[in-house]
Amino acid sequence: MAGKLELLLLDDEPIVGKRLKPALAKIGCNVEVFEDPKQALDRIHQKTFDIVVTDIRMDEIDGLEILEHVLRKSPRTKVIMITGYAMMAVAREAMEKGAYDFISKPFTPDDLRKVIAMAAQALGSPIDSETADPEEPSEPAETR
Amino acid sequence: MPVVTLSSDSHPLGREIAVRAATALGYDCVDREILKAVAERHDVPETDLHKALDESPSPFGISSKNHARYLAYIEEAALAVLLKDNVVCRGLAAHLYVRGISHVLKIRILADPQKLAGEISSGRTLSFEKASALLKRREGFRRRWSLAAYRVDETDPSVYDMVISLTRIDPDEAVKTIVETTGYRKFKPMTYSLKCLKDKALASRVRVTLMEQFPDVTVQADGSSVVVQTKALEREKQKRTEVIKKLAGEFPEVAAVEVQILPDIFRKAAESFR
Amino acid sequence: MSQKEGNPHHDLADQAMSLEGRSGRIHAVEFTRKALLARRRYSLRLYIYLGFFLIFLIAVGVATSMMLTMDVVEKKLRFLEIANEYMLEIRQARRFEKNFFLHGTNLNDALENVYQAKQILNDNKEELGKIIGKDSQSIILFNFIRYEVLLKRLVDLEQTKRNNPDYPQRKKEVESELSRYGQEMVSLANHLMKKEKEALSEAILRSRHIHMYSLVFLLFFLVLNAYLLGSRILGTIGRFSVHAKRIGSGDFTPIPPGRRFRDEFTDLAIEINQMIRELESREAVLIQSHKMRAIGTLTAGVAHELNNPINNITITAHMLLEDYDHLSDEERKEMVRDVVNEAGRSKAIISDLLDFARESGTQLEPLDLPELLRETIHLASNQIRLSGINIELQSRGHLPRIHGDRQQLRQAFLNLILNAVDASSKGGKIQVLLVPADEPGYVAVKMVDFGSGIPEHTLDSIFDPFFTTKTSGKGTGLGLSVSQGIVAKHGGRILASSVQGKGSTFTVTLPVTTIPADIDSGDNLPGRPA
Repeated sequence: MAGKLELLLLDDEPIVGKRLKPALAKIGCNVEVFEDPKQALDRIHQKTFDIVVTDIRMDEIDGLEILEHVLRKSPRTKVIMITGYAMMAVAREAMEKGAYDFISKPFTPDDLRKVIAMAAQALGSPIDSETADPEEPSEPAETR
Repeated sequence: MPVVTLSSDSHPLGREIAVRAATALGYDCVDREILKAVAERHDVPETDLHKALDESPSPFGISSKNHARYLAYIEEAALAVLLKDNVVCRGLAAHLYVRGISHVLKIRILADPQKLAGEISSGRTLSFEKASALLKRREGFRRRWSLAAYRVDETDPSVYDMVISLTRIDPDEAVKTIVETTGYRKFKPMTYSLKCLKDKALASRVRVTLMEQFPDVTVQADGSSVVVQTKALEREKQKRTEVIKKLAGEFPEVAAVEVQILPDIFRKAAESFR
Repeated sequence: MSQKEGNPHHDLADQAMSLEGRSGRIHAVEFTRKALLARRRYSLRLYIYLGFFLIFLIAVGVATSMMLTMDVVEKKLRFLEIANEYMLEIRQARRFEKNFFLHGTNLNDALENVYQAKQILNDNKEELGKIIGKDSQSIILFNFIRYEVLLKRLVDLEQTKRNNPDYPQRKKEVESELSRYGQEMVSLANHLMKKEKEALSEAILRSRHIHMYSLVFLLFFLVLNAYLLGSRILGTIGRFSVHAKRIGSGDFTPIPPGRRFRDEFTDLAIEINQMIRELESREAVLIQSHKMRAIGTLTAGVAHELNNPINNITITAHMLLEDYDHLSDEERKEMVRDVVNEAGRSKAIISDLLDFARESGTQLEPLDLPELLRETIHLASNQIRLSGINIELQSRGHLPRIHGDRQQLRQAFLNLILNAVDASSKGGKIQVLLVPADEPGYVAVKMVDFGSGIPEHTLDSIFDPFFTTKTSGKGTGLGLSVSQGIVAKHGGRILASSVQGKGSTFTVTLPVTTIPADIDSGDNLPGRPA
């Protein structure tokens, strides 16, 4: 383990950040939450993140734009796209532009944690997507 | 890795390319040999499954009801294969029902018309006019077949991600192109597309179960919830809903079943005039 | 002959305004059928038969009058002949009389002629009396008889001239008297002849007049008959074509009675009314199925919008479950509140759509157009936002309310808005303007887009059913046709104008009456004057 994963979470829905921040912190992520894509972009330019999770459809700046900015700044950063209304064309476009993964709403915290764990693996700093809490309910395993 | 569906207007040619591409990619090649297992599982004649893929329902051949049922069996089996990943799927009409999934690369191989005509007429040499008339007829037939079975025109190039015509391109080049294309980032599997494929596979399994009683059902799955649509009149509504919920609920992956009974407006209109 | 149709719907109907559409129409059709049949039957066939029978009667009359005048002329001619004979006899008598005085010839011949003349006078005494009158007749007779008496006296004188000393004296006396009466007699006969000739030419003239006038009358009658029959048939056909046009434009009011009687056209009207009923029920199915398509289009936007609150609920619920034991009561409560709020948000997102999707009967009510348009825009808002398009609604001043069916009008406006969204490119703008129409008593809703516009050659056919410019599978080509039908039912219309490359404007005009447009005439029919 090479310390904590630096993670940026951008979604214009406040609840997403509010709830996912503790959920991701549990698996060893240092999470910064943004609702405003502009502020998020500013932060991206300041700091290099290991993982960026962003919504695709936001009012001012498109998630795909964020993706481009992130990869221009740091090609090794894994960008995970989330979207409310997924369509194949958008999914392929995101992947082509270099997104690491693409998930559709609604998703569970575990879904995201699994994807982040895989991204961490790919980054060479594996983490355990299972939290320490044994009482935590677990979803049927997603296969890849 | 992406999965590949490969379809061709010529069976032998499609098979050849599919096998070679699978070998080059290190994938399994799945062809119609799985129909044997499907036939055994559902206790139907294997030849009928082949017929359902090649022929339209007719009063002398397969009835419409059986036609739809057989195709549903094949779809269920093919989707299960695709879910295993690392496959090239051919000859199971997968390009017609596995749509909207970003990591499925859909390829169409077009045979050289001259050779194809010879192949269809089992080796006889035909005049140019006769050959092109024959091909045109066959294309028309395939179009009608695919539209009737899946509401998709098989001969429409926009169905595919890639159409390779072997008149100009050698099979070697075609295989090379396919292998190269599977490497494109846009065909990379992702959580979302895998989920879509899984949803489709589950929906198709539920549909096969329900079809015995309700031939017109459409099933959609989203995660662990399943939406079933069927047409019925008001009075049949409650009973159908109960039966469908019970049948679909027996799948371990299914947590919630929603049944939508569409008002059969035409039947309703017809009855209101009586 | 025909009353004006089309306007009576506006007369009443302040009464019952809501009625289930189709059953209302069935009632209206049934009512109209009764009204149509309640009149006295006066069939076209009967009319034609009557016309021809009258013509026949007139022809018979003409022929009879001709025969009668001919008869009169014939009689006159015969009488003239008789008068002529009489004239001849008396002239002959006078000749013999003169010969006697000049040459002393026999007088018996003259007497013979006088007898003949007398015979003629006696034979035709009746007719003579009729023609010249009793007085003249008695004068003629008197003269004649005097002449005859004198002639007889002369004959007696002649026989007794040997033993009569004053024979020459007497002869002279008789001669002068005889010549006086003879002359008188001849002039009277001449007078008779003249009179008779006048009567004859008068009779001929009269007969000619009768011929002429009866022909003119026949012509007049034929023209009148043709005019009446023609206007009865053509007038009704004209009325029917007006109705056909109206029905074609989507106004499904049954054809009302237009005349005081019924005939073969009434049977046709009843059949057409029956057809209207069928057409309408089919249109209802069409509108409903088209609505479902519009909903399908809206779902994309709604699904996107809906997934956000659902995702929030999913995440929050999962985290609540996961961290339940470590959370404070306050935190737990907050999370549950979030779930509740987000559930409410989901409900709000779909409630519009569900409300719109609901299959409802025709319900007429006064509608506030700006409100209705706001609702419609809100309904499509997700779709509009997803397409990255700005939409603005401008309402100029205070406009009177309109009367109509909320659901149907919403569907019509939604179609137009979704069309405008399709026509616009990302970042484009759509304007919805609510203004008074150029025509007084109407308001206009203009949907302006700044898309690629509609080519001029297709502008005429865009309202045709099944006409579509969208790729196959994307549109049914029924949207505008259905919208047009709905607006027509409300007594309005849709006009399209477009400048290629600049955009299109669809203008919906609707009447602002406080009286319901005729969407459901079942309730306003009963008071209609039949």
